[in-house]
Amino acid sequence: MTILATAPAPGFEAPGTEDFQLPPIAGIEGLTKPVLQLVLAAVIIYAFFAWTVRRPALVPSKGQFLGESFHGMVRNSIARDNIGPEFLKYVPFLTTLFAFILVNNIFGIIPLIQFPTFSHPGVPYALAIMVWVIYNVVGIRRHGFVGYLKVSTWPPDVPWWVRIILTPIEFISNILLRPVTLSLRLFGNMFAGHLLLLVFILGGEYMLLHSHSILLGILSPFAFGFGIVFTFFEAFVQAVQAYIFTILTASYLGAVLAEDH
Amino acid sequence: MITGNLNVIGYGLSAIGPGIGVGIVFAAFINGVARQPEARGQLQGIAFIGFALSEALAILGLVMAFAL
Amino acid sequence: MTTTLLAAEELNPLVPHTVEIIVGLIAFALLFLLLRRTVFPQFEKIYAERTDKIEGGLARAAEAEEQAGELKRQYEEQLAGLRAEAARIRDDARAEGQQIKAELRAQAEEEAARIRQRGDEQLAAAREQAVRQLRGEVSGLSVQLAERLIGDSLADDTRRSATVDAFLAELDGLAPRAAAPAGGAS
Repeated sequence: MTILATAPAPGFEAPGTEDFQLPPIAGIEGLTKPVLQLVLAAVIIYAFFAWTVRRPALVPSKGQFLGESFHGMVRNSIARDNIGPEFLKYVPFLTTLFAFILVNNIFGIIPLIQFPTFSHPGVPYALAIMVWVIYNVVGIRRHGFVGYLKVSTWPPDVPWWVRIILTPIEFISNILLRPVTLSLRLFGNMFAGHLLLLVFILGGEYMLLHSHSILLGILSPFAFGFGIVFTFFEAFVQAVQAYIFTILTASYLGAVLAEDH
Repeated sequence: MITGNLNVIGYGLSAIGPGIGVGIVFAAFINGVARQPEARGQLQGIAFIGFALSEALAILGLVMAFAL
Repeated sequence: MTTTLLAAEELNPLVPHTVEIIVGLIAFALLFLLLRRTVFPQFEKIYAERTDKIEGGLARAAEAEEQAGELKRQYEEQLAGLRAEAARIRDDARAEGQQIKAELRAQAEEEAARIRQRGDEQLAAAREQAVRQLRGEVSGLSVQLAERLIGDSLADDTRRSATVDAFLAELDGLAPRAAAPAGGAS
């Protein structure tokens, strides 16, 4: 369904989904920028953590303090508060998840990279499915298959006529929809955020260089200024999305580990 | 000429409800923490689950905007 | 129409890129395994050590305090025991001293009594001896005096009185001689 209307600035190609189709690098099929970024993110994270624990001490150095506060934040405020007494087993996974998503998101505002890896949905899908598999397996191991289904879809103390509606909803939202929303929330935020920055920066560029209009040229700094403001906003959104992905993972794990619903 | 997809307007509409819902969820969360700061850890998990549930509708809208 | 549709499918941002999924999963898995192997145990170890240091320090302080309390209690117990023993020793000593004093006094009194008695005896003996001696001498002297009196009976009263006087003077001269041996014996 396509609607047509008069364009405000003829010749301006608004950024769209085609801006997310990146050409292969050096002509190698499949080797695109996001692929390199994924590897780079893993290397950066490993290097960072290896650097922070190169000389572990009781009184931390500055580097160790950075790594420790990152790990401690995930450990204490995400894992411990949401999973419960058995949180220690899941801390490495959650920390890696948080760091991996955070770094890949922040790539969206790092100069010269400036492309959030997860504005391509593949890896968010994969991560969300991985989380889905993990919490289902943990839940089934804990409660047995039927017990797990009961824990996730059979809220206690509900009259039977409410249950007729509630149980399918619980099933859909707890078992089917969670990986979808988890991955698409991350992807959607990164995608929209990147598009937002593209609109301001490319729009400003068009106004300054290609519009051949003095008025638009004078106004273009506003577009760039907003671009910078929204870059900071994006930094915030990227960090928050990584946090939300991790805390939801922890919440799902906590919910399936809880003794009663 | 603006070329666009009407589906995106649908997505915009679908984002209204979840926007309000997410606002309510976090308002309740803040209220709860203000009243009982020591319950923050527990409330946080519940708040984010509620947020995820409300947000799900907007995300479905986004999917529909691209998929249909 | 078909080509545009295909292009639209190609551009659909919801379609994942297979290469990214594979690379992403491998990168994530490797990262996770490496970090879990090498980095996170270090952090946990440091947290544990730190907790141990703080809580262990507290525990050790409590233990030391307890030990000090125990030691103090022991000392006080010992001190009380010592004090009691000292008091006991003092009491014993006093009792013993008193006993010794009493014994000594008794002994001294006995001795004194004995000495006095002997003195008395000696005195008595000396007196008896003196009396005996005196008696013997007096009898002798009386005989002498009587002889003289009879021998001079014819003489006048004057001579008689002179004789008595001379006799008495002779007795006086004898008396110190009789007393001297008695004093030397005691």
